[in-house]
Amino acid sequence: MPTRRLLIAALPLLFATAGCSSADLFAGPDPLGGPPSLAPETVVLSSAISAEEHLLAQYRSFLSGLSGRGAGRTTTLLTSLLSQHEDHLTQLKARLVVPPGYHASASASPGASASAGAASSVARLRAAEQASAATLTRQLTGVSPALAQLFASIAASDVTHAAALAAL
Amino acid sequence: MSFPAREALSAIDALQRALAAENAAIFGYGVAGARLSGNSRSAAVQYWTGHRQARDTLTGMITAKGGAPAAAAAYYRLPFAVNSAGAGMALAAQLEDGVTAAYLDLVAVADTRLRTFGALAMQAAAGRAAYWRGSTEAFPGLKFPPVR
Repeated sequence: MPTRRLLIAALPLLFATAGCSSADLFAGPDPLGGPPSLAPETVVLSSAISAEEHLLAQYRSFLSGLSGRGAGRTTTLLTSLLSQHEDHLTQLKARLVVPPGYHASASASPGASASAGAASSVARLRAAEQASAATLTRQLTGVSPALAQLFASIAASDVTHAAALAAL
Repeated sequence: MSFPAREALSAIDALQRALAAENAAIFGYGVAGARLSGNSRSAAVQYWTGHRQARDTLTGMITAKGGAPAAAAAYYRLPFAVNSAGAGMALAAQLEDGVTAAYLDLVAVADTRLRTFGALAMQAAAGRAAYWRGSTEAFPGLKFPPVR
């Protein structure tokens, strides 16, 4: 009669000859098959975070180049809007849970350069705000109720930003 | 830190809340508009008309879903005395805040078309609130502790 030690030693051989993989030992995903893909809501949220970071970079880039006569009113407004976008980013990031080893958020790159001219950059910021609102509104359908409400609130804020920029 | 989700409502309940907010806005704009003049009064009249149209739209949506649209109240308690143009504008901003928050409930329902409808209505109301207040907000319709 085989001993228990002999049975344990023979287990890998038994699985190999039966065509079993390590995944067959567990009810869950194969631990050797690499990490599972991110949940769809995490992907959408990551995309929203990247877009918010990009918008922030545009504001910072434009503000850093603002100077001269007439810049005061523009600077005051843009600084206020920038602060609200920072609040958006904080709330979005607070909802993101990414497993270790994933890189869910791409780095942002500046878009609107102040050197391109104040008027055209304000127009570009306005267009970016409108685009952000439209994107967030489209993304409402595939996310949880709580995240949908956050997206909708940020989209509403972006629309008011666009109107404020149009009034400059 | 995150913030808690608002209470999830059925589609009809969320539509009823939006309707109630529109009815309150219709009443309130009547009070606010009486204290305004010039461009502000024109804006108040335009927005009052828009709220009446929204009321009719919501009434139709509730009826189409088999619900009974709640009637407007005969009188609404105002949050403060409206005896100046400034108070009229402040009231208008507060009314729009209420409408924005009511449509936020629609964004949480399962029906994706209603979510989009609610979000677009929020954007319009938030825009009107910003007009009256003269400034924008980071999270129209939402209330939660600031995170810094």
